[in-house]
Parts: sequence; C-alpha cells; structure tokens
Amino acid sequence: MSLYPSFARPRTLADAATLLASLASGGVVIAGGQELMPSINQGVLAPEVYVDIGGLAELRGITETPEGRVGIGALTVHRELQTDPRVRAQLPLLAHAATRAGGGRQVHNRGTIGGNLVAQHPLYDIAPPLLALEAEVEWVKGRETVRQPLAAMLADSRHGLGSEAILTRVLVVPMADGLGWAYEKLKASGGAYGSANAAALVKLKEGRVAAVRLVVGAVADRLIDASEAAAALLVGRRFDAEAGAALAGAVSALVAAPLSDAQGPGPWRQAMAGVVAQRALAAAVARAGRG
Amino acid sequence: MADRDPGMSAAPATGGYVGRAVRTLEGRAPIAGAARYSSDFSFPGQLHAAIVRSPHARARILKVDLSGARKVAGVVLAMDGREVAAHLGPIPHYIDPATFGGKSAEVRTMAVDHVWCYGQPVAVVVAADRRTARWAASRVQVAYEVEPAVLTVEDAIAPDAPKVVPGFDDNVIMAVPFRNGDPDAAFARADHVVTTTVRIHRFSTQPIETRCYNAVWEEETESLTLYGTAQNPHPLRHVLAKVLGMPEGRIRVHAPAIGGAFGMKMHGHPEESLVCLLAKLLRRPVKWVESREECLLIGAREQVHHLELALSKEGDLLALRDRFFANTGAPSACPGWGMAFLTGLTMPGPYRVRDIDVTMTALVTNKPSWNAARGYGKEATALALELALDEAARRLGFDPAELRIRNFVPADAFPYASPTGLQYDSGDYAGAVRKAMAAIGWDEWRARQAEGPREGRYLGLGIAYELTPEGGALPGTMVAGYDSSTVRVAPDGSVRVLTGVTTPGTGNPTGIAQIVADELGCPIEWISVVQGDTTTCPYGFGNYSGRSTIVGGGSAALAARAVRAQMEAVAAAMLGVGVQALRLSDGVFDGGDGRSLAFADVAWAAYTRAYDVASCITPPLEAQATFRPPNIRHSPDAEGRINPYPSYSNAAYATVVEVDSATGQVKLLAFAAAHDCGRVINPLLVEGQACGAIAFGLGGALMEEIRFDAGGHQLTRSFMDYVMPRAEDMPGVTLVHHDSPNPDTYMGLKGAGEAGVGGSAAAVVNAVNDALRPFGVAIHDLPLSPARVWAAIHGRSGAAGGAA
Repeated sequence: MSLYPSFARPRTLADAATLLASLASGGVVIAGGQELMPSINQGVLAPEVYVDIGGLAELRGITETPEGRVGIGALTVHRELQTDPRVRAQLPLLAHAATRAGGGRQVHNRGTIGGNLVAQHPLYDIAPPLLALEAEVEWVKGRETVRQPLAAMLADSRHGLGSEAILTRVLVVPMADGLGWAYEKLKASGGAYGSANAAALVKLKEGRVAAVRLVVGAVADRLIDASEAAAALLVGRRFDAEAGAALAGAVSALVAAPLSDAQGPGPWRQAMAGVVAQRALAAAVARAGRG
Repeated sequence: MADRDPGMSAAPATGGYVGRAVRTLEGRAPIAGAARYSSDFSFPGQLHAAIVRSPHARARILKVDLSGARKVAGVVLAMDGREVAAHLGPIPHYIDPATFGGKSAEVRTMAVDHVWCYGQPVAVVVAADRRTARWAASRVQVAYEVEPAVLTVEDAIAPDAPKVVPGFDDNVIMAVPFRNGDPDAAFARADHVVTTTVRIHRFSTQPIETRCYNAVWEEETESLTLYGTAQNPHPLRHVLAKVLGMPEGRIRVHAPAIGGAFGMKMHGHPEESLVCLLAKLLRRPVKWVESREECLLIGAREQVHHLELALSKEGDLLALRDRFFANTGAPSACPGWGMAFLTGLTMPGPYRVRDIDVTMTALVTNKPSWNAARGYGKEATALALELALDEAARRLGFDPAELRIRNFVPADAFPYASPTGLQYDSGDYAGAVRKAMAAIGWDEWRARQAEGPREGRYLGLGIAYELTPEGGALPGTMVAGYDSSTVRVAPDGSVRVLTGVTTPGTGNPTGIAQIVADELGCPIEWISVVQGDTTTCPYGFGNYSGRSTIVGGGSAALAARAVRAQMEAVAAAMLGVGVQALRLSDGVFDGGDGRSLAFADVAWAAYTRAYDVASCITPPLEAQATFRPPNIRHSPDAEGRINPYPSYSNAAYATVVEVDSATGQVKLLAFAAAHDCGRVINPLLVEGQACGAIAFGLGGALMEEIRFDAGGHQLTRSFMDYVMPRAEDMPGVTLVHHDSPNPDTYMGLKGAGEAGVGGSAAAVVNAVNDALRPFGVAIHDLPLSPARVWAAIHGRSGAAGGAA
C-alpha cells in the first residue's frame, strides 16, 4: 500500500462510473471538495483513490427537461443556485436556501449541490428545500442509471461519501405561481452551523391553507418531513397565532430523538424544531398572501 | 520604590506624532502578504515534527511502541517521553507557584509514565515533511491503563479525589486569602446580604496564526537558533538553556512577525524545548506547527465564584466575601495558573469597599493546562463583581449605574491603596460610567424598553466596569516591570530603535516610533523599529500585561533624549552657538540666527569629525536606556502586600441587547465604552485594542466554550465547534476616551492591551439578565448560549446542556 493515494480524472461519466465500480473500498468521488477535504484533513477519511468528476460536462448545467422539470447538474455550485435566473424564477425556495448555506463566498463557489446531498449531513441547507419540493435525483452506478425520489436516497445510507454511485442530476418540478415559500434557519451565533431549520411551501385559497409542505432539519439524524402533520392541522384554516402554536407543538412532537451536539442540547433542539417550523410557515403564508 | 524621574511625565518640546492616528509602520507587510511568520522560515535540510498526544485525561502509560512509525519511509526519528526525559530537564515555571507559597509540580516536556490530561504529548516523530510525520505519528501504538479523571472544581476538592499530581496530598496548587478590615463585623451590621454564584466557563484565545517553532542547529558555532512564536524571546532563551543544559550565550531566539498572541505565546510550552532537542540530536532544522486542534487544547479562565455582598439599605457596599475556585487544568510551566492569583489580587476592583474576605483556591485537574489569556484573571474579577452587583441591584431595587457610582473609589482619592495592597494611580470611574451611558443613549433605550417587548423580543440594558492593572512585575520571576531600548542614529540620519519589548501584532512599534520621532524631532519615516531577536535587541521581557508602550516607549524616549543631546552638542559646535539656542524640528537644527543644519549633516559630522566638532561627544550616536516605573513596590508592607503594577487602566462598558424569548437568542443592538488608558499615543492602536477586547468579551459571554465529555475527552476541536464572533454578531461600538494621565509613567501612559474582556462580557450578561427580568430569572452560568437563555425563560433548568 502506498503512503500517498492515487488520483484519477476520467473524461466521461461512463468512464468514471466504470472506474468507481471496479474499485474495491477506498475509492472516493471528489468534485468541489468542500465536504471531502475537511474529512480527510481531520483524518476521518483516508481514501486510496480519488475519482475526480469535476471535469465531467455531463454533470453541469441547469436545464429544462422534456417533461418540464428543472434539471440541475450535480456539479452546480451553491453560488449558481443563488444566482441562476431559472432557479431564482422557478425554484426561489432553493435559491434562497442556498444563500443560507454555511461557508463564505469561496465555499459557495466550490461546493456542489451533488456533494451537499451526498454528504447526508443533517445540518446542511440544500436537502430540506429539495425535500419540501419533492425533488428526484438521478445517479449512475456502473452501467446502470437510476432515478428515485430524493426522500428515498436520503433514507439510504449507502449513498454517503465513498459511495460507488455518482449522483448526476437533481430534478425538480417548478414552483407554481402564488405558492408561498420560506426557509428559516436558526443559528446559535453567526459562525455556527444551524441548530434547526425549516423549509415550507404553502398554497392558500381565500386566505386559508389549501396545501402545505414542511421539512425540518438540523434537529435529528435525518430530515423530518412534517408535511402530513402540518396538513392535518392547517388545511382549511387560516394560519393565525393559535394555528402556529399548534403547529410548533406538533412538529416538536415529531422529533423523537433530537440531536445534542455543539449546536445545542436535545431539549432545546426539539423545541426549536417547532419554532422554525412556525416561523417558516408564517413567512410562507405572508409571501403567498402577497403573491 | 525606584526613583521617580520628574522628566518622564513631560511631553517632548516639539510634539507632532504623539496623539495622532498614525497608520502602523509595520502594517504594510501583512496586508501585502509580505510578512514572514515563524512557519515561513525554512532552511536546507528542514525536518518536521509531529506529536502523539494522549487520548485520555488520566492514565498510566504501559508501553509506547514506536516501531510502526519508524517503518514509514521518510521518518528520521521517533522518541517517547522516557527517552526525551533522558535528554531534557524539567521546564522551569514562568511563575513558580512555590515562589508565592504554592506547590510546584515537576513539568516534563512529555509524559513519561503517567498522563495527566487529554492531549499531553506522549511521543514525537520527525520526518522529511509534515504530512509524513503526522502519518507516521498515527502509527505509534501506546498502551494505556485508564484511570478515573478529575475534571471539575467539585471533583478536585472532594476529600477522596484522585491526585492529579502523583505525590501531592491534594489538588490545590495554591490557596491565598485576600483579607482586609473586619468583614465579619461589616456583614453582621449590613441591612442586606446578597449571594451570587458565578460560573465562568473555559474559553481561550485563538490567534489565527497557531504556534510554530523551528529550531536550527548551527554547527559552526555549536549553537541553537529558535525561530518561533514567542512573546518573550529573552526569557524563553533562559528557559531553553535550563531545559537543554546549554549556556544562554549559545542560544538565539528569533521571534518574527506574529499573527496574534493574547498570552498564549508566552512560554513554558513543551514543544519549545522539544524541537531544540530534536535539532540538536539530528544536526538538522526541525519545525513543528501547531494544528488548530492542538491550539484549542490550551485553556483559560474557568472559575467558580461564590460571592456575598453586604450592603446598607442606602446601597453602600459594606463588605465583600468571595470564595472562588479556579480549574487550571493539569500543571504546566506556562504562566496560566497565575491568572487565578490576579483575579483575587484585583478584588474589589474599582470599588471603595475596605472590608473584604476573598479566598482564591487554584486547583489542578485532568483537563489540559491553562496558559495566559488576555485579561490575565482580571477579566474574571470584573465578571464576578459586576454580575454580583447587578444581582444586588435587582434584588434590592437599586439602579445599577447609581449603585456603582455610589460605591466607586472617588476621583479625588488617587493614588489609592486598595485593600489587597495595590496602588491605583488615577481614574474617574463615575465620569466614565456617565460618558458610556451618554454615548449609548441610555435613557432613550430605557424608554424603548418601557414600551414592552415586541413579538416576543425583550430589550435589556447592561453596564459594567473593569479595572485592569497593566504592566505587571512579579518578584523572582521573568515578569518584569521594566524594559530597555537602544536608539541609534546612522551616519545618514536614519534612526533605528531596538527594543526589549515585542509586539503580538498590536502596533506598538508604531507607537514607539511616534514617541522617538517627537523626542528626536525627526520625521517618523526615518525610524525603523527592531524587535524580537535576542542577538540584536537589548535584554528585554517582550510583551504581556499591556506593558510594551509603557516601558518600551518610555525606555525608547529616554534613549532618544540621550542621542538627541549628543546631536545637539555636535550641532551647537558646528554652528558655534550654545546648545540652548538650538531648536530641532522636522529634522532641522535651527541655530536661532538664521542658520540651520540638516539632521543628516549633523549625524554625518558626529561620525566623521570625532576630532573637531564631534570631539565633545563619545561616538557613535547610540544610547541604551531602561525605564523602570517607579510606583511598582516589591518590598512587602506590614501586611506582606506588594504593588506589582504601575498602571491601572479602567473602562465603563454599556450595551443593549434583544433577547428572543422563543429561541433564547441574544442580539447586541448597541455597545459603548468609555476608556481610560492614560495619555493616548495613537488612537487607532488604542481603539483597535479596545474593539478587539469587546469582541473577545462578547464571544466569551455568548458563544465561545471549550467542552469535554464526562470522561475528559475534549469535544471542541476545530472552529466548527469553537465559534467566535463574526461581523454579524458584533454591534457597532462607540468608543469614547476618558483619560486620566498616570503620574508615574512616560507622558502619563497606562496599559491598553489587556483591558476590556471581562468588562464587556459582564455588560452583555447584565444586559441579558435585565432583559430576563420580566421572567423573574437571571443567569450567572456562562456562556449565555441560546439554549441556556431559553431554558431559563421556560423554566427548563435541566435542559441547558451542561458539559464537564
């Protein structure tokens, strides 16, 4: 075994997928490096082979698919999500959430949407809005291309760093006109990771909630899709203070095993899940009312 | 007391630079990326060291197996603590507790057979590059027998507590009473007694440049040169000589540009002598660069105070009692533990109460060691006193500002002998409080607060005071009150100032250049300041305790005056006039009769005409001088007390916060400080220091914390866990000067480098507690994380998330 790892830069997605499938454990995909490199520097990971997919044209670009989805290449960096006209117009929730991601401009210019999702990190800011938007992901493993709901990928720990699959594209249905949206992120201080976050989408009809999507993150190992609980409480009602308080209580109750870490202790995280949910819903309702 | 020099407090005749916002002379290089920091130095044959550290808080070392590391290609040496101990003596304490009646543990460079804290060095690996060294270090196998660890103050004082230092009969390294008057009687006659327990957590200072040492063996002279992040090059040289068993004359310490120090780069660290040993053994340069994780091991400040204030019904503070305990971590040769002593010595801060009963107990535990951290324990005095005073004001219904003003040492009482023996030089504490309140718009904020909370957000106003003794000198230690400088004028008229003080990046070379420019009557551009090299600079003690401008500037002024006298004698001889007739400004000697001489022409004559016009002086144009502040007193008084400080900076801090009752988040809306550091040499430098201290204070009050798990493993290992304030966390700061000149220093200077950490932190805590009044709660456990504030508001005391 060599002291130094080896590095491969395949020219096509097919080459990359074939190479990755041929490696036993120890191969790792690198693109922006914003998740991988800190893990390596801290000694958490010690890959033997780096497969650099940063040059693969197939993974770039934000397009409209024939079926009318927004297709976002896995190499799309956070800064593009923040600024791309199509994302801003059709997926404003995602564009906004990308601005709230940790790290400065340099990190946003390197970190990719694919890397963010593959990291499977409960504190990150890209998965909650995409899950609220019921996004799908496409990935390639060997010769096989698979498309599945993001929710399924997030539930499957084999899709983490070091996976043999390459995430290629994220597919999202454009947000309908008049849909209210909000992303609420609570941090203990400016430089901290989020302690709780919530992505909300709401459709109003005559001032009453007609449909709602709500995802809460950073409070448990996995994202919590609170859409059903929110719909049960809110559909057909006006979103007033009483409804907000009821929602906060219901969302906190969904947090069975809150995280307890440097971002804050469990009981507080559990309570904050409710607070960010309530605030995100309120902001989404206000935005829908204006729209 | 040393003799007072009446000339010291006088300003130079031709002032021009002192008092002005001169941009830092040494500021260009870091901005242009041209500054050379310690790790920028590399030499032919350079090797790199990596250190294997204990993953346990307390353990017996059964076996260290270095074979795995030695097999790695590129590794040239691997050693364990036992082998290192065969070459190196114990590290002398910067401040030996035994000198002051405490217990002195023998501190070795590396653990030999027993580990007393997480992160203690156990083995070292040297390789051709840093990556290989670190990789190889991970191959070292150490077998430990883990023992129960002592982590908290309560653990350490338990009767059956394991002993952190084998051979000690308890875990107390020093216990000191600070007692004056008749506190028991005062408590007996008091109308009110208010008790407060203040818990200050472990937080530290995190310079962006971590520590680095690069030792070079000079085969030609069989000597060592250490390039390193050292605040105190000469005293470090002495320590290296002792540890290595080499004469000081064979060791050179060169401390280049430093990227922040804050006390952390005061010496006693094991890596200093370790790299020297490795370079000596290998006859090659060996460098060690501290990782951020290693930098976070250095602790500070963790104290528990049990305070009692005795008050009359009018609000007079009649007596103070404080039993406080400092968790100083494992023994270290660094001066960190002394912070606890200073916390006691600085009681009762700016207050005139005479009857005090304060007991300091400094404990060793199995947490990593302390080192000095800006504030040096005086920040803890301010936190403890100011939180307790606010608690008294809340409970008894006094206005917090009026309660303070009522109890301050009055402005006409200086010089003032404190009940612990200190001699406060000057101040107007009440005036500073009023200025800070005016600057923040106190009454307007109070009016807004009275309108009630908005959307669950509660306003709070806080005020706090900090008295900060600076420029300290402790007898029998390398903490010296005096320092020396050399001023040279070259034949072309350019001026070189060499100082014994050093800079941690705060700009004192510019302040010193301003002083010398005014003393020599020349443009500041002609002056260069050289610091931080034991071979070229006069013997000096470097930077700590806000001393560098007081004694570095003072000694440079005295040396400049001597050189000026030489030049005036030559100029007078050249013009054939009396010295009294000369006027010197802007680099021109004016003879008073229409004739003048350029500064450079006089310098040239001084060097080249030693047998005619310059025969009246002894060339070259060079003088060395020492400034020893006269008001430091080391001969004990009848009570055995000394006055180790020449200057007593002080400041009032006022802040306004908004607390979100749903989340516990604290947002700072406004901040003001009224600051007294005596005469201001350069407001840019003073304001930079003051704003930095405020950022430190609010970081400590709200977010920065070094945490451990129940087994003593440190959880805080990177800036992802140790979160310091960002720009968005920092409010606008209104800084007003409220200077009262120090009668005993050059031009009335007081230290400006240390003040403000505790005062600003206390103001933030007091403001949060003011905001929490509607909920009937107050928090005295730091930091005030959102979770802790939320738990207080919602009555969830168990939910605040404690850590060991």
